[in-house]
Amino acid sequence: MGKYFIRRFLGLLPTLFVIITISFFMIRLAPGGPFDEEKAVPQEILVNIEKKYHMDEPIVMQYGRYLLDILRGDLGPSFRYPDHDVNFFIVSSLPTSLLLGSMSMGLALFLGIGSGILCAVRQNTWVDYFFMSIAVMGISIPLFVIGPVLMYFFALKMHWLPTSGWVDSRAGWITVLMPVVTLASYYFAYLARLSRASIIETLRSDYVRTARAKGLSGPVIMFKHVLKGAMLPVVSYLGPAFAAIMTGSVVVEQIFRVPGLGKFFVQSAFNRDYTLIMGTVIVYSIILIIMNFIVDIVYSFLDPRITYK
Amino acid sequence: MTDITPNGITPLPPEKKDIEFTSDSWRPIRESRNVKEGTNEFNQAIEGISLNQEAWRRLKKNKMAIGGLYVIIFYALICLSAPILPIHSYKKIILDHQYLPPSLTKTAGDLVYEKKEFRLKRIAQKQGRNFLNDAEKTQLAELRRTIETETMVIDGKTIKTYERQYFLGTDYHGRDMLSRIIYGGQVSIAIGLVGTFTSVLIGIIIGSISGFLGGKIDYFVMRFVDIMYGLPYILIVIIFMALFGQHILNLFFAIALVSWLNVARVVRGQVISLKNSDFVEAARSIGASSRRIIFKHMVPNTFGIIIVFASLEIPHFIMIEAFLSFLGLGISAPFASWGSLVGDAVEGMALYPWRLFFPSLAMVIFLFSMNFLGDGLRDALDPKSKNRL
Amino acid sequence: MKKILIAFAIFALALMPFGNAFANKGELIITNGAEPQGLDHAQISGVPEHRIFFSLFEGLISANPKDASPLPGVAESWTVSNGGKTYTFKLRKTTWSDGVPITAKTFVDSWLRLLAPETAARYAWFPAMFIKGAEDYNSKKGMKDVVSIRAIDDYTFQMDLVGPLPYVLGALIHYSFGIAPLHVIDKHGKDWTKPGNFVGNGPFVLEKWEPQKQLSAVPNPKYWDKDNVHLERVVYLPTDDNNTAYNMYLNKESDWATVIPLDQLSEAQLSDDYQSGPYLGTYYYVIQNEKKPFDDPRVRKALSMSINRKHIVEKITRKGESPALSMVPPMAGYTPSLGDAENVEKAKQLLADAGFPGGKGFPEFKILYNTNEAHKKIAEYVQQAWNENLGLKVTLMNQEWKTYLNTRRKGDFTVARAGWIGDYQDPNTFLDMFVSGAGMNGGKYSNSGFDNLIKKAASMEAGPARMAALQEAEKLFITDDQSVIPIYGYTSQNMINMNKWGGWYNNTMDWHPTKDIFMK
Repeated sequence: MGKYFIRRFLGLLPTLFVIITISFFMIRLAPGGPFDEEKAVPQEILVNIEKKYHMDEPIVMQYGRYLLDILRGDLGPSFRYPDHDVNFFIVSSLPTSLLLGSMSMGLALFLGIGSGILCAVRQNTWVDYFFMSIAVMGISIPLFVIGPVLMYFFALKMHWLPTSGWVDSRAGWITVLMPVVTLASYYFAYLARLSRASIIETLRSDYVRTARAKGLSGPVIMFKHVLKGAMLPVVSYLGPAFAAIMTGSVVVEQIFRVPGLGKFFVQSAFNRDYTLIMGTVIVYSIILIIMNFIVDIVYSFLDPRITYK
Repeated sequence: MTDITPNGITPLPPEKKDIEFTSDSWRPIRESRNVKEGTNEFNQAIEGISLNQEAWRRLKKNKMAIGGLYVIIFYALICLSAPILPIHSYKKIILDHQYLPPSLTKTAGDLVYEKKEFRLKRIAQKQGRNFLNDAEKTQLAELRRTIETETMVIDGKTIKTYERQYFLGTDYHGRDMLSRIIYGGQVSIAIGLVGTFTSVLIGIIIGSISGFLGGKIDYFVMRFVDIMYGLPYILIVIIFMALFGQHILNLFFAIALVSWLNVARVVRGQVISLKNSDFVEAARSIGASSRRIIFKHMVPNTFGIIIVFASLEIPHFIMIEAFLSFLGLGISAPFASWGSLVGDAVEGMALYPWRLFFPSLAMVIFLFSMNFLGDGLRDALDPKSKNRL
Repeated sequence: MKKILIAFAIFALALMPFGNAFANKGELIITNGAEPQGLDHAQISGVPEHRIFFSLFEGLISANPKDASPLPGVAESWTVSNGGKTYTFKLRKTTWSDGVPITAKTFVDSWLRLLAPETAARYAWFPAMFIKGAEDYNSKKGMKDVVSIRAIDDYTFQMDLVGPLPYVLGALIHYSFGIAPLHVIDKHGKDWTKPGNFVGNGPFVLEKWEPQKQLSAVPNPKYWDKDNVHLERVVYLPTDDNNTAYNMYLNKESDWATVIPLDQLSEAQLSDDYQSGPYLGTYYYVIQNEKKPFDDPRVRKALSMSINRKHIVEKITRKGESPALSMVPPMAGYTPSLGDAENVEKAKQLLADAGFPGGKGFPEFKILYNTNEAHKKIAEYVQQAWNENLGLKVTLMNQEWKTYLNTRRKGDFTVARAGWIGDYQDPNTFLDMFVSGAGMNGGKYSNSGFDNLIKKAASMEAGPARMAALQEAEKLFITDDQSVIPIYGYTSQNMINMNKWGGWYNNTMDWHPTKDIFMK
């Protein structure tokens, strides 16, 4: 087991390395460059800019330079925002994303698994249909609709909440409500559907029948036996989901002006801000790999049949 | 439906360990579970109904699932027969008919007139009058005349422009929402189904092989999945579109390219946990090949979760397409998809709510049906769900 | 889910009585669009940045809020000599916000810094268009002494232009002619724009800058005209989502909305706060002039004449734009040369003359546009117009911004949407990009007569003769060749309550210096 951990952990580095390498070369394939603008920058100026950012060197040299920089912990200057480094953006916006993400995920897990259990136990009753209907709505209505609808209702119509912002001096903590609910709605729906199905599956399995035959009480069976087994598919979905939600959501961040990292994922790609793209890719990959690693560990706890050698 | 309260416990037949396995060991067990109560569960001589018929029989009993099935058939018929349905063109722009609200009875002329009148009254109100001045009245009279006389030619026939009716209202170009929703449905349903099918298929194959074989292969496959997750998706789509052009097939492909990852991870997890179960051991002990074990024995046992996953993937694909349209990488105008219709309508939500409401409704009803059908299928195909229905 | 929402709502109600209690006295909150690229005038290139620049810096010339015309800034007065080619500015005695004096040398050093190849300023081409020797220095053809700017004494600054360019004073308002506190930059390097390090010379000085969250500025106590600065604070909020920005305005969370979503326009226009005026820009379709059969002016004219521009501006864009038949918008002293007005019958005839009666045999082609609601709507309309009026098969192709720019630059399109905002108030800014081989001439227009006229105008002094030359050039470009299809002249769109705020005026540059804005 211990050996497995170490091997897995060391295995993360090559994965990360491959992601960095592929991304580094791939992003330069996209048409247009970081300095293209409506008013074309004349060739002479482009030469100056490319020299400044060492983009006139052969690509392999740029790659080597970039790797060395990363090893020193420097992700380079942003092309789009010359006043700041990529490190600055990540340091300033990742905590916001983590906060938004963990609150949303917490809400989604609590409500999702809760209603999953409820629906599974009361399968095909109105309770089941009710929650599953909400879940289907959560999955089928895009975030870029849910967000504005909430904003329209709670801010413009009822004046209960400010339209947007994030824990600032003007509006305070109340601003987190709408972004968290919006972001949670999708994951809630997913988790509810997944855990319901999985619990129903497990309820029919032999070991649960055995437990029942032994005369254990409902709640004990549910929490000691069923949930443990039923969480497997949920957990394997959670790995990537955690990574995605923790690194922010571009839609929610743009709509509610949340100063998170998610915006940079999409905007840096559109701006061809190579260094910022690489920065976001690296952060996301690290979180993702660690999450998937944790998922695998959790697996072995949930399911004694899985062994790691 | 039984639940897990102690009162609901049904005594189980004692587990029998001494069954003789044939090369098709798993199947008979599965079927044997379909026998009626009272008969020996392990009576191998069971005949009559095949698994599919049995599943179908169970499915028919599930009213929600059958309801869902009918709705889906209805959608499919409507979408497929769109070109011959008596609806307006989805792309014909009539600027005079912009933003008309839905109405079952009123013609475009009535609505345009009402809208104009309302607008003029608002302007008058803003200027502190509660009556229309002469210039405005002339405007209205002129509009009335236009409405009564203007004609246009569609498909060689001359019709009165303002006698057209729009049951679900019109969009910013005066195009018929009903027709756009139907044509948008073609695109969205196709993306949902094709995308789900390909991604689930790839996901099952890769996930199950990786989970079953384990060891180095599993390790490398999972690292490959990690790498695919890590690459910047938006950029992949941008590059893809730039290299191959913005065609709907390319859109399918670009979406499917990364969407199998989740399925693969989930299937792998299931396969790993099934790997050490009795029936796999049994199959292995009688020398079944790996391929046979994976695809005949293990994959069917993960169907329950896969179907649920697939029913989650369909909306997911429709959403990805909507998101890509939102970013301008989706389907190109003047074609529509449900996602693009909804995306277009968000801004004007307060003023033109029907533009948001009807496409969303069409989408939600479809996904509801898919969902209930998926659940029903899962129950019906589930070997353990005998005597439950 | 519903329950939770209700619970949250109650929670929210209990927590604070919200509503419209945001505005401080004299605090102006602006929803500023995209996150600003930065504050260093040598590194920025956009409109949101320009709005901030107006608050934090001032160049030789500042803008009149009423009509965006030049007003004395750091320069108190100026004289023109040498046939309009030499400008001598008398500077006022003023300092940076840290008390360090601003002298003529500050201007020389700042401009040289911006032009230096190592600085790699994106907008260096702009001063290079005006100042003698600037282009040579920027493209490493000469050392810094070739740039013809000099400090005659501490408070006299002189520059030589490449020609008698009468619009240079308006151009000097632009940030690329701004100044930078080099003594601070030497000390802090790139971090000089961080709050705390920041030093400026504008009416306001940076108070707080949290990227993605807000940027705020308070009056600069060292500003020479500080008695005429009225606001207590200016807050710039980055807003990527137009709908949110507009909602913030409706909810009174901001005082000035700089965009209005298209679908909200009809409501917005009924509001007293709606501010709209002509904006110095032209929306047009550029045609690839080298591609067959679009190399035939008759084809291009037919395309132009079969579009109903009035419909487009009244029913689709609806911002009060003026239908345009010329590339150059009307300006003082200049009457644009127009292309042919809409005439479907004549358009059909022209197309038939070019060998495509009823559109038969005409190759299918694409309209390229970048992702944007308004562009999409117009393209859909034009597609139908060309199809129904001329029988042409047209498809639409949208690309995200950078791909679109790349395609357009390479000339890899047939018809593409384009827009041009004037850099200064002169016809030249709308015409000189179409000379043969120019970097921005993606339509590959090439006409030596046009090239000569533009070159000739560049060497002429201000006056009717110069305008006539430009008009002649536009006649070749539009009236004869119809190289592009102008569609409409832009308008600016803002929401601001004029009963509450004064000193804010519509003008053709959409420039609204915060210095002059005050709370009534």
